[in-house]
Amino acid sequence: MMLMPPFELHHPKSIEEACKMASSFMELGESFDWVAGGTDLLPNYKWHINVKKHVISLAKISGTDTISMTEIGAMARLNAITESDDVHPLLSEAAAKVASSLIRNNATLGGNLCVDTRCFWFNQSEDWRRSIDWCHKEDCGTGSDCRVIPNQNTLCVATYQGDLAPSLMVLEGIIHLIGPSGSREIPAEEFFQLDGITRNVLEEGEFVLKVTFPENVSSRVGSYHKLRVRESWDFPEAGISAAWIPGDGSTLRVASTALESIPRLHLEQVAELSGEFNSNQIKSLSEAVMKSIKPVNNTTLPPRYRKAMVKVLAKRSLNQILEASE
Amino acid sequence: MSGGYRQQPGASRGTTRKDGKRVAGKQKFPPPGSGGSHPNMAPRDLDWIPESVGGNEPQPAGSHIHDRYRTGTSVGKPRALVDSHAKVTGQAWYGDDVRLPNEIIGKILRSPHHYAKIKSIDTSKVEALPGVLAVATGQDAPNTFGVLPVTKDEHAMAVEKVRHVGDLVACVAAIDEATAMEALNLFEIEWEVLEPVFDPKKGLEDQDEPIHWRGKYHVGKTNVQKRVFQEFGDRSLVEEPSASSHGKWRMEGVHHGFTEPHAVVAHWDPNGRLQLYTPQQVPHYAHRALSTVLEVPMHQINVIRTFVGGGFGGKSDPFPHEMCAAILARKAGRPVRINFSREEVYWINRGRHPSHIEVKMTADEDARISGFDIDALIDGGGFASFGHVTSYYNGVLATAPYELGSFHYTGARVWTNKPASGAMRGHGAVNTRCAVEVGLDEMAEQLEVDPIDLRLANLLPPHSRTISGFRITSNGMREALERVRKGSNWDQKFRQMPLGKGIGIGCGFFISGSGLPIHWDPNRFPHATVHMQIDMDGGVTVHTGAADIGQGSTTAVAQVVSEVLALPIEMIHVRSHESDTSPVDLGSYSSRVTFMNANAAIRAALDIREKLLNAAWEMIGYHPDVLVLNDRRIYYKHDPAVGVSYLEALHKAQEDKGSLIASGAYRSPPMGGVHKGAAAGLAPAYSFSAYVAEVDVDVETGLISCTDVWAAHDCGKALNPLAVEGQIIGSCHMGLGQVLSEKMVYGRTGHLQNPNLLEYKIPSIHEMPNVTPIIVESSDPEGPFGAKEAGEGPLLPILPAVVNAVYDAIGVRIRELPLTPDVVWKAVSAKTKSLDGIDSTDLPAPRLTHGPLQATLVERGNEHKARDKKRQRSEDTSAYVNGVLFGFDPERPMEDQVEGWRTAVEPNPEQLAELGLAGKAWLKQEQRQMGGEQ
Repeated sequence: MMLMPPFELHHPKSIEEACKMASSFMELGESFDWVAGGTDLLPNYKWHINVKKHVISLAKISGTDTISMTEIGAMARLNAITESDDVHPLLSEAAAKVASSLIRNNATLGGNLCVDTRCFWFNQSEDWRRSIDWCHKEDCGTGSDCRVIPNQNTLCVATYQGDLAPSLMVLEGIIHLIGPSGSREIPAEEFFQLDGITRNVLEEGEFVLKVTFPENVSSRVGSYHKLRVRESWDFPEAGISAAWIPGDGSTLRVASTALESIPRLHLEQVAELSGEFNSNQIKSLSEAVMKSIKPVNNTTLPPRYRKAMVKVLAKRSLNQILEASE
Repeated sequence: MSGGYRQQPGASRGTTRKDGKRVAGKQKFPPPGSGGSHPNMAPRDLDWIPESVGGNEPQPAGSHIHDRYRTGTSVGKPRALVDSHAKVTGQAWYGDDVRLPNEIIGKILRSPHHYAKIKSIDTSKVEALPGVLAVATGQDAPNTFGVLPVTKDEHAMAVEKVRHVGDLVACVAAIDEATAMEALNLFEIEWEVLEPVFDPKKGLEDQDEPIHWRGKYHVGKTNVQKRVFQEFGDRSLVEEPSASSHGKWRMEGVHHGFTEPHAVVAHWDPNGRLQLYTPQQVPHYAHRALSTVLEVPMHQINVIRTFVGGGFGGKSDPFPHEMCAAILARKAGRPVRINFSREEVYWINRGRHPSHIEVKMTADEDARISGFDIDALIDGGGFASFGHVTSYYNGVLATAPYELGSFHYTGARVWTNKPASGAMRGHGAVNTRCAVEVGLDEMAEQLEVDPIDLRLANLLPPHSRTISGFRITSNGMREALERVRKGSNWDQKFRQMPLGKGIGIGCGFFISGSGLPIHWDPNRFPHATVHMQIDMDGGVTVHTGAADIGQGSTTAVAQVVSEVLALPIEMIHVRSHESDTSPVDLGSYSSRVTFMNANAAIRAALDIREKLLNAAWEMIGYHPDVLVLNDRRIYYKHDPAVGVSYLEALHKAQEDKGSLIASGAYRSPPMGGVHKGAAAGLAPAYSFSAYVAEVDVDVETGLISCTDVWAAHDCGKALNPLAVEGQIIGSCHMGLGQVLSEKMVYGRTGHLQNPNLLEYKIPSIHEMPNVTPIIVESSDPEGPFGAKEAGEGPLLPILPAVVNAVYDAIGVRIRELPLTPDVVWKAVSAKTKSLDGIDSTDLPAPRLTHGPLQATLVERGNEHKARDKKRQRSEDTSAYVNGVLFGFDPERPMEDQVEGWRTAVEPNPEQLAELGLAGKAWLKQEQRQMGGEQ
């Protein structure tokens, strides 16, 4: 049995109330977490990972679970996205590949974007982490070293294993944030920030409100390929999304996830195609994407293999969007 | 009125003749028996009564000694388990469902070090914490225990040193879980950290501080816990083979992954007796160990087995947390509960041993298997557990179902600073079996023959003796192979499918109950005892110690009693939860329960049956030989109207005595060789199985998906076909986990990296193939109604079947389990590199053109089929020992016929240099031979 550590759960009814709540905690110097579906946060709490005194739930704020082609609320449940006919097919495909059906009933788009980075030295019980003298990501005040790459205390290399981020990137998604100091919009590819501890650009008190897409998003053809041991519910060990507006090579976008501590949009590698995209380029583009990625040994499958699979997944994604465009 | 028998006319004229005998057909119709949902006797169901006693049930494998007691009531009929209602309605009480008034929560402090001496433990701060009611450390229970009497190397909590991360150091009981957890942080411990060992190969080397010390029997100063050497046969046969296979395997450790984490509640009752609630497979061993550790006589302890939420071998050791709960409860004076987290389950482990297995095998010019040469180095982790036995099983359980020219086995089990390995479904046999079956596949390829035909032409027949002296009785191996071949459409698929699609075969052989009861002399005390009692109400209460761990042992016992006494199963009440009321029983391991307990139950039921029939004899004047038991009624064979109801006979039998009591016992017959270790693997019967698996392999990613399995298992007689099929499908699932995705990952620092069910990858329902269970019934002469085991053996063949299917799909032999996608990808990459860097999608799929030996094998297989049938049906009762295939006379000792035939349990000095990895354990001497510790 794992005992959930005690915390106080708050249920603001509006965005304003939520922001106010956050700023008052900040003023008091009290720690808090946001929770949406809770499928990532609560298991971590049970492991006594980064437990905060307060948890603010976004579940009772109405109007944050909208689903349409150009806008999806942060509180939209993944199963709703999966089943919706009104979202981009790439998003429902990617959402359907997240975890299991039971988890998708609760899990949300916002939660999936902000999913904590994972590492087998970190996602363990307190007793377990004590036995390795903690790690850099949660050092419990000991200044512990990184266990993945010893002798470096600068970056956390825990792996980001969210499924939806690369698809948002290739669909030119814009992430809308809101917090006590106002709201802002940021392209999906700029939302994530090194390292495994920082994870993203969210300031304290800020949360993801929604994701919007350009008007022409429905003309994009996309594909997401996910590598995992068990199709039933595993986190991705590697994931590649690709999308383009058929016939226009300059619109091609390729993004990866579950390989490094942040998901990435591979602009440079695509730029080398100089605006052209056809089947002859798939091999070289896949290889270029593979070469730009440096996974580390902190997930189930070894990094060398995951890296090699980038090429295969990229090839399959690119082939698929080409075929679908014919 | 429906059913039952109508009264014949004329009954009113009296029912007795002048001479006092009853008149056939003119009896007062007896009142219906009690019990069951139908008031009238059901007609006799001839379809479930064997041909040999006049029924319609076909008996292709011959008649059985228990046929006379078949009443057509229960045996062979598919039925839901008797405890299924409790389970599906959520009323079954598992370890965590026991709630006693006033209970408090115990927590265990676990070692953060792999290997360390405890210099001191200060518990004063813990004791001072409000809410803490008891604290205990190793000093509170210094006596050792262990599941095997020969290797008692465990303590309730570490006494002098800890042996792995997660080893028990101390425990605390508090008013609630939060307080107990807080208390764990207040222990002050001074450690002296020692150099740990993780690699089993290192365990073979001398160490300053071996993990355990065995005194004069210690092997050098190594961490070798057990070493085995066995050699049988003529080693000259393996020279100049016409085919050979040499494989070095690396198999990762796997865990049982049962649903229910361990949980225990200990309560010292007002009389000072310990009542211990625990989900145990083997309550009796826990009972013994508790007595030793707590220094309380066994009769002052009552072990109550709760429902068991899956065991698979992982709940068969006496566990230290059971001791801890009892110690804490004694100190606190209140019931103490300890519940495990999943991570603690992995730390107590007892899963399958991580293994290095090397198999060399050879075939001669006639495609006879001239030699098996097996070397198994197994990683035992921190404690012995069942390891002594596992060390033998890794070799000896490979001596059948094939006839061998020679057999050579070296095995060693070493202690390492990791959670202890132990017994897991298919105990000790699984890994070697996989290696052997894959080797056969490879040899078949070299010989240019079909691997199924190679097997069919080399099988030991029924009623034979293996090279190491095991007594094979019934043997359904051939039928199993034939049926999966047909079912899978093998001949149209094997070596004919496109790249990425493959089909493979694997066989299995497993014990049906260990022949040796490890705690006592089998000649003086039986393996299993069953008590039975019937009071005036007519319900049958059966007391057995057989632990139902979900496999259905309670149902099996109820079924055989129901069958013998011809009572509906609702009238049979099996009581097996408490040691106070259960006869001593070895518990649920080594697939012994159906075979042994059902046999004991049959004996007890026969005793009752005799009493009932004698009573009926007295009442209606017909001798029991001409009486028939049917549904709640006993009647004259030639006129069913002449009879008495079950209750009438029962009450007659109870006159002057009160309730009917009977006891039945089972003991295995004397058997086996006399060499050291001859008892390991000895069983009163053996199960056989053959599976064909079909897979899809993604050659680019290495991902394997097993799509179909045809699974034939010889269980002797399916007492309950539904349960047998469930066991087959469940075994497939568990074996697939081991072959495809499950492994206990020990990282760079020796820590178990995946002690949770997200990262320890048990296949889900989504990954399950379509399994077609095929039940083979070879009618074992000594099994209850012919039954043998079906719980463990069915796991074995799935591993090699999948590995061989992967070869068929991509032409790459992989000898590393599990076949995770990275392992497959690595092997495929090596192969494509060796083929001038071709693309993996251009790999050649293996093909087979039959060579000249194929016809020879088919012919030999057909001859053997006729031979086997005669032997199975006891039309041929001549002796058959391993070696007849090689032209030897079964009536004379092999040593007298063959120069060089050897039976050895220690290596010759000249062999020492050429032994494999585990064999290196024989390079060291025991302390007593070195003049140490006499």
